[in-house]
Amino acid sequence: MSPNHDFATQCNQVLNSIVLFIDNEIDDSAQFNAIAFHLQECDLCRGAMELERQQLQIMQSLLTRSCCETAPEDLLVRIHNQVNALAAELSQAESIGYVGQTEIITKYSRTEITIDGETQIEIETSHEIWRDF
Amino acid sequence: MSMDTSRELEATGGSVATGELVHVNREKESVAERTARFERDAMQYTSQLYAAALRYTKNPDDAQDLVQDTYAKAFTSFHQFEPGTNLRAWMYRILTTTFINKYRKNQRQPKISDGELTDQDLFVSASHTSDQGKSAEVEALENLPDSDIKRALHEIPEEFRIAVYLVDVEGFSYKEAAEIIGSPAGTVMSRLHRGRKQLREKLTEYAKELGYGMGMGTGDKP
Repeated sequence: MSPNHDFATQCNQVLNSIVLFIDNEIDDSAQFNAIAFHLQECDLCRGAMELERQQLQIMQSLLTRSCCETAPEDLLVRIHNQVNALAAELSQAESIGYVGQTEIITKYSRTEITIDGETQIEIETSHEIWRDF
Repeated sequence: MSMDTSRELEATGGSVATGELVHVNREKESVAERTARFERDAMQYTSQLYAAALRYTKNPDDAQDLVQDTYAKAFTSFHQFEPGTNLRAWMYRILTTTFINKYRKNQRQPKISDGELTDQDLFVSASHTSDQGKSAEVEALENLPDSDIKRALHEIPEEFRIAVYLVDVEGFSYKEAAEIIGSPAGTVMSRLHRGRKQLREKLTEYAKELGYGMGMGTGDKP
């Protein structure tokens, strides 16, 4: 089991790309083919790849199995009601000629009372501008 | 409804490069039509998004608020969504950016660095066990209760958790995950690989607590 230098170099390169290979993230088809060919020829690398793939698959299946909660019914109702409320606002805005922008403005207001009893009201406005999806 | 369909087809016909904003017959579609289209197309993801939100926020109340906020924002921007492109990825992008921008501010998180990947980070199975120990280990992992798997996921750093969730649970590609998170693909890849490794270590630890490695790993079967 003493591979020549070139082959060892190839092994290192292939081992470094194994996870990307398994994740199907190697876009360069020449590189992909070179790795696939090497894996056919080299038992050690193929063994390492198969072990890695098996470990990843186990983890992925464990995660998928356990992360599958169903949205509660009242959440669905809340979403539905909110969408309808927003739709009503939009309809009203459109009926008065407002052209919808994708800007959400959030207003925060805060009341502060100083020690001498004077009331001071501060209103802060923050704009949240959506990037284009 | 047939009107709706033909309009969508027309809109997808002029497909453009990613990132370019397309206004899909915004003037023609009424609010009522858009609302119906939104409910029809986007509501199917509520449970998926809720499960993701539970992993992001780690508690049901925040998760529900996050999903509700996500839907409100998605609906408000829905006229910008190009029919025919990936709506699920678009919804995840809103969920994830909303979480990162808002909910995370309430939590104190130690900032983790996105340094260079080491060879160690690349392999989930870096800690080699013997072949005979392996089947016992696999069995022990598969016997872990769901609560332990969620606990392990919750214990790894948030950036890692999001990357692992998007790729390993939701099956997004690195590039899609990077677009959803809003970080470069290399950064997301580094987080994913480190997250997987840490997750793997935690799960193995829990499996050991359940009995694996205490006489079970020798490979002898009854």
